[in-house]
Amino acid sequence: MVDITLRVNGATCTGSLEARKTLADFLRDDLNLTGTHLGCEHGVCGACTVIVDGRAVRSCLMLAVQAAGREVTTIEGLAPDGGLGPLQQAMWDSHSFQCGFCTPGMVMQATAFLSDHPDAGEQQIREALSGNICRCTGYQSIVDGVLLAAERKQGSDHDGNRG
Amino acid sequence: MTAIAAERYTGASIKRSEDPRILTGAGRYVDDIKLPGMLHAAFVRSPMAHARVLSVDVSAARALPGVVAALTGADLEAMTVPGPDLLMTLMGWAGPTPEFTLLATDKVRFVGDPVAVIVAQSRYIAEDGCDLVEVDYDDLPPVVTAALALDPGSPPLFANLGDNIASPHSRSEFGDVSGTFAHADRIIDFHIDVHRHQNVPMEGRGCVASYDADLGVMTVHAATQSVHVTRIGVATRLGMEPDKVRVLAGDIGGSFGLKIGASREELAVSAASRLLGQPVKWVEDRSENLTASGQAREESFDVRAAVSNDGDLLGLDAKMVIDTGSYPGMGTMVPAIMQAMLPGPYKLAALGFESTAAITNKAPYVAYRGPWASETFVRERVLDLIAKDLGLDPLDIRLRNVAPRTDPPAVMITGRPLAGVTSRESLERVAQLVDFPAFRRRQAEARAQGRYLGIGVATFIEAAPGPRSPEGPSGPMGLESMRLRLEEDGIVALFTGQMPHGQSHQTTLAQIAADEFGVPFEQVRVVIGDSDIVPFGLTGGSRSATMTGGVALHGARQLKAKVLDFAASVMEVSAQDLLITDGNVWVRGDPATAISVSEIAGRAASGQFGVDADAKLEVEATFDGGEGGWSGGTHCAIVEVDVETGIVKVERYVAVEDCGALINPAVVEGQIRGGIAQGIGAVLLERSAYGEDGSFQSATFMDYLMPTACDVPRIEIEHLETVPLDADVNFRGVGEGGMIIAPPTVVNAIEDALSPFGVRIYEQHLPPGRILELISTGID
Repeated sequence: MVDITLRVNGATCTGSLEARKTLADFLRDDLNLTGTHLGCEHGVCGACTVIVDGRAVRSCLMLAVQAAGREVTTIEGLAPDGGLGPLQQAMWDSHSFQCGFCTPGMVMQATAFLSDHPDAGEQQIREALSGNICRCTGYQSIVDGVLLAAERKQGSDHDGNRG
Repeated sequence: MTAIAAERYTGASIKRSEDPRILTGAGRYVDDIKLPGMLHAAFVRSPMAHARVLSVDVSAARALPGVVAALTGADLEAMTVPGPDLLMTLMGWAGPTPEFTLLATDKVRFVGDPVAVIVAQSRYIAEDGCDLVEVDYDDLPPVVTAALALDPGSPPLFANLGDNIASPHSRSEFGDVSGTFAHADRIIDFHIDVHRHQNVPMEGRGCVASYDADLGVMTVHAATQSVHVTRIGVATRLGMEPDKVRVLAGDIGGSFGLKIGASREELAVSAASRLLGQPVKWVEDRSENLTASGQAREESFDVRAAVSNDGDLLGLDAKMVIDTGSYPGMGTMVPAIMQAMLPGPYKLAALGFESTAAITNKAPYVAYRGPWASETFVRERVLDLIAKDLGLDPLDIRLRNVAPRTDPPAVMITGRPLAGVTSRESLERVAQLVDFPAFRRRQAEARAQGRYLGIGVATFIEAAPGPRSPEGPSGPMGLESMRLRLEEDGIVALFTGQMPHGQSHQTTLAQIAADEFGVPFEQVRVVIGDSDIVPFGLTGGSRSATMTGGVALHGARQLKAKVLDFAASVMEVSAQDLLITDGNVWVRGDPATAISVSEIAGRAASGQFGVDADAKLEVEATFDGGEGGWSGGTHCAIVEVDVETGIVKVERYVAVEDCGALINPAVVEGQIRGGIAQGIGAVLLERSAYGEDGSFQSATFMDYLMPTACDVPRIEIEHLETVPLDADVNFRGVGEGGMIIAPPTVVNAIEDALSPFGVRIYEQHLPPGRILELISTGID
């Protein structure tokens, strides 16, 4: 067993676990953060995407021990007050999702992408999300949600006084 | 003073009540369930397509620390009741019935067939245990194709059947088939293949079974399209009284037809929990999902079309062979639906239809979004091929052949009336939205530059629910039930057997009931997912819009009448003078009399209302579908084929749809777009691939390619104004249409793009390699 300390959603966490345990399983089983979903366990579908030190990471391909000392953000950590963050709100407004299984990965991927590319257009967003598989929506509503979030952010940045 | 809301929720894109939990990671999917003392199961699966099982040695697995049980097929056989696929039992199947056990005992029949189950303290240890199980197999010749299966010399997969026929050859004729073909100007023959592909919900199958030995009650937390069908399955195969089985379900990560009933694995896990007296969880991984959960389609058709020189499609004669894979179930039911639907919205005078269902060493055939869709693929492909032969435009040949909307309605040659079908209108609307002459000019210019654009159209109808039979009293889809109750706090609770897995029923049903009853949307709660409290039901077959939407409407109306009767007693007025709007009961013309619905409910619950009135504010409603009706529409795709790489890009996609009155347009359009995306994936990317030895070659997402955000274009959707057939309920199902019609739409466009090469397409799967082969064959 290996002891690790890391920060998850702003709080310091410790764990004692087998070295082979994935970050995804550690988050889900040991920390009860079941918002992170497992869709393929071989790094293709992106459902398990979390943010580690500011970068989107597939938590099924990362061992929990590799996250020691790092800062991990999961879907549960985006809006700590239990409400919705701006991207989540835009996705709700856009009817982005159906079954919701790919949702945490999509939201985390889009969060990391928008923070680096706040001015992204549709094609860039599609490429940024192309490593996250959704089986329900045909993607348009998800892309629209990300676009709406980006537009709102730009609107509030450019004109903070407008309603 | 009360504000009287005039707006209606029904018809508006109300934001989903499911989303706040889903967007914050607070959804509860089956793998999120953690029970005290819960164990974890993993399955040992066959690496062989067809083999005798000589021995299964689980002793090393049993000795592994952390392993609690290692059960073989023989162990499970002693603990469970034998029987065929649950679907066959439920649908009254009377044909050949293969005998098999939950886990393989005498033989394995496909790569992935479960052979043993290991139950351990963690999934990691359970999988370690699987690695220690030694199975001795004796190879049998694999029966990998339907053609092999139909060879009388092929080794039978099931000893009790003696051959590999799941459903014996049958032929039906409608109209004067021989006369129609004898008098036709032309008879054209085709062989058309549809390839094997599969549902692939992002969440695989799974369950947590928890047996309480003291109470003798089995609780199964399931990912299912129906808690009751799962309950029946578990009770039947575990030999339990149905009332001792409770099935619970929460959020479900998609299904598309896959998660109906109880799978062999889920039954084995339930039996293990009963044996051990502890909860056992099993959630399949992606490899298991692709290999063993089930696959769909794979039908081949020999089609003859009787055609006039002017382009009238007079008759079709189709011989179908369906590859049901191993362990037949749904694949035996599908041919009858295909036969009924093959005429589509066209005025076909004669139809001959033959089918045979073959058993092969592949994963079982399961329902997948529009299970009968291949009939539409065949018909819409045939129409384009005929149009090419006759030099007709694909829009024109369809407009020429669709049945006119008449009163009484035209009747399909297979029997159902085409009441309210707007195929012609959808074709005409597509022609307005897409400027075909301008496209043809652009296509010609592009070709001159070595670029190959193509346009395709296709038309479908879907019995969602279908029309009421003109002869009998029965509705189009049986009955749908709902219990509705006004709770003490004024919440209108709807108890439904629907088990949504992306369809947004907690939003859409609340919209309908809120309007009908007269409360704010937020005051309606849709209760799902507990077999102890919801009535029988199933989410599938695109039934919920009409059937459940309808019972929500009529049930809310009945509950409202009951509440008004009680309120009238309390308020000492006539019920006829009372209204409910915006959550308040008031006397018509006198808003000052308004009392909130919650106050009325509280009075009823208190038992202290001083009058002789029925205070049980609850109704059990049923709905038979009313007049029913068809969904349908016409889709159009514009594609560009790169003839160097074989890559197809869908440049534009237009869908003109008629699914009746829209409950929630954003939800409807999500269903349409999602189905189209699956159809694009089916044509360009997805294939459940088997080798000649029966090996499975697409067990990961590196091999089974799913459409991504870069493969699916922005989809333009228009809704036609529908023809109302029913006085109240004109919502129609829209879950399956996109997946039914996108494959022929895209293939028709690809063939059009490749027409300079003389390419004719008789298949559905067109990945880049196949496109290049078609081009080179066409050039030769």
